[in-house]
Amino acid sequence: MTTTTAPAKTQTAEERTHRNRKIRSRLFMAFLFVAAIVWIIPMVWMFSLSLTPNDILQLDTTNLLPQSPTLENFGDVISVGLTPRWFLNSVVVTGVTTLFTLILSAMAGYAFARIDFKGKKFAYPLVLAGLMVPKEAMFVPLFLMFAEVGQHNTYHALALPRIAAPLGVFIMTQFFTAIPNEVEEAARVDGATRWKTFTNIMLPMAAPALTALAIFTFVLTWNDFLWPLVSATQREMFTITTGLASLQGNFAQATELGALMARGVVASLPLLILFIIFQRQLIRGISIGSGGKG
Amino acid sequence: MTAVADRTSTHGTDSRLRAFLASDSVSAWSFLLPFLVIYLLFLLYPVIQAVIMGFYDWDFLDISDRTFIGLENYGRMFWGTNMTWDVTQLWQWRLVGLLGIPLVLRAHRRRAVSRTAMITLVLGVVAVFGIAMGVHPGVDGRWYDSQFWGSFGNTVLFTVMSTPAIVALGLGLAVALNRPGRLVGFLRTLFFAPYVLSVAVLTLIWAFLLNPTTGLIGSAFETVGLEPINWLNNPTWAMPAIVVTTLWWTVGFNLVLFLAGLQDIDKSQYEAADIDGANGWEKFQFITVPGLRRTTLLVVTLQIIASFQIFGQVFIMTRGGPNGATRVAIQHIYESGFRDFELGYSSAMSLFLFVVMVGISVLQFKFFPEES
Repeated sequence: MTTTTAPAKTQTAEERTHRNRKIRSRLFMAFLFVAAIVWIIPMVWMFSLSLTPNDILQLDTTNLLPQSPTLENFGDVISVGLTPRWFLNSVVVTGVTTLFTLILSAMAGYAFARIDFKGKKFAYPLVLAGLMVPKEAMFVPLFLMFAEVGQHNTYHALALPRIAAPLGVFIMTQFFTAIPNEVEEAARVDGATRWKTFTNIMLPMAAPALTALAIFTFVLTWNDFLWPLVSATQREMFTITTGLASLQGNFAQATELGALMARGVVASLPLLILFIIFQRQLIRGISIGSGGKG
Repeated sequence: MTAVADRTSTHGTDSRLRAFLASDSVSAWSFLLPFLVIYLLFLLYPVIQAVIMGFYDWDFLDISDRTFIGLENYGRMFWGTNMTWDVTQLWQWRLVGLLGIPLVLRAHRRRAVSRTAMITLVLGVVAVFGIAMGVHPGVDGRWYDSQFWGSFGNTVLFTVMSTPAIVALGLGLAVALNRPGRLVGFLRTLFFAPYVLSVAVLTLIWAFLLNPTTGLIGSAFETVGLEPINWLNNPTWAMPAIVVTTLWWTVGFNLVLFLAGLQDIDKSQYEAADIDGANGWEKFQFITVPGLRRTTLLVVTLQIIASFQIFGQVFIMTRGGPNGATRVAIQHIYESGFRDFELGYSSAMSLFLFVVMVGISVLQFKFFPEES
């Protein structure tokens, strides 16, 4: 008798703790869900205000769903002011920066990872040392350098300092080092030059690392603030980030809140779209880029 | 004979040239050159340029107009008239700083910190908190630059306030969201999303959110019967408001790094702990925290370095106000150079900030005696 009842008893107790644990886990998930929704409210609010007519916003700005939604604020973005031009500037500068970062980082990374050459022991630490130079610290001497040759308010002045960042080289070196030797040796035996093996074999293999680096670079460049603020001082040369900042803090904003928020939406849209499509690559870019692992 | 003749013929030099061009060193340097040129010119050279500019009185409006003034810029930053030293000057802050010594000693006893790092840290803490912070202008004296230490101090204050909050919340969220499932993945996305906004969009949202008449926070206060606070215009609340804004913006970044760190912890450790009947908190304390040691130090260092460069949020939302309560180091550097037109002085200040930040990075490396 006892031998048959005892296991049954423990089983119900086990079931009970199992059920308790399940309920607790559900409650915890519900809590996290609410927290995440609250977390995202400020962004939802921006979207809501951008879709609300300005005369309604003069009375009430606290709705999370747009009242009598309209696209007139977005019409305002196109027809009033320089926002389209700033957007274009950002597209050009970010595009050029990302493209050149990829090409130059991949080339340099390949050399550091796959070729034994004279001066490597000196050159690689020199590049790594650059990782310690904080992005925002050296804008004053950089400003002077471009001013001396009269090159401010140009696209290349906005792009070049960002391309000089050594993080991409570090990431690509790490990636190329991890590729087994046999892959490259097979091609070299067939008489392919370094350049051929690089473009035909190594680059295609590096596609995942390059995508991660591209997304990461794109986000950082699009959001650059201090250098564009210092270098591009003519209104036509503002990027969307500095342009949007220049619109804040003046008195007109109280009446044109909707139009201002629509500009905020336009400024974040490319990144939000990229983020939705390439979330995994961006996250990979962050973890390789900061910790040196992927 | 033929070999000698061959070597001297044009065909010979041609093939030797080709062999030289195909050699590893030449191809390596041709792969490196495009990056190296830009890197040396726009990343390393500016550091040297900053050192040079720091010795000059250099006019922004006419950049060919400069006068060598030696160390005067640095004197103007650090010093003032009728300077004295007092034990009681800023004693609360210095006392808190000196409490770092027992912490360092304890970390050294636990072999978390190497001997050289321990000695450097203790000497550094004594020099900064014990001695340097006691210096101040005496009666009838004043700082040469009344805003330098204030704005630098605000940067430090921001760093001290934001780093623990952002790291702790990032860690907490990572542990909570470190499980499989679509819903959890969606929640991770929501927490991470603000990171992709630019600083101008961030300030656009939060300046209005914090606004007592138009913002959601003000209306929430009114709903529960409280008087809305004008956060950004209040000297006490302006800095905390900036910290909360930044927390919302960047916690996703740390969440991602902590999640990556959690992946590296051996799952069997948790299973073993389950068999031993450990509860959630014990598992967190004895497996998760030690397992995340490397990640945590990385996150803290990145966070400190990012916080030292704070500028955009403050510059757009408060312009450093009210009454200088949120004026930060980069803003002071920016305004000295681009509003007061003193490029030499602002270079000297950037160099100081640079040295402090590099010092923090070096300390991080010293904290990892077991890693090269």
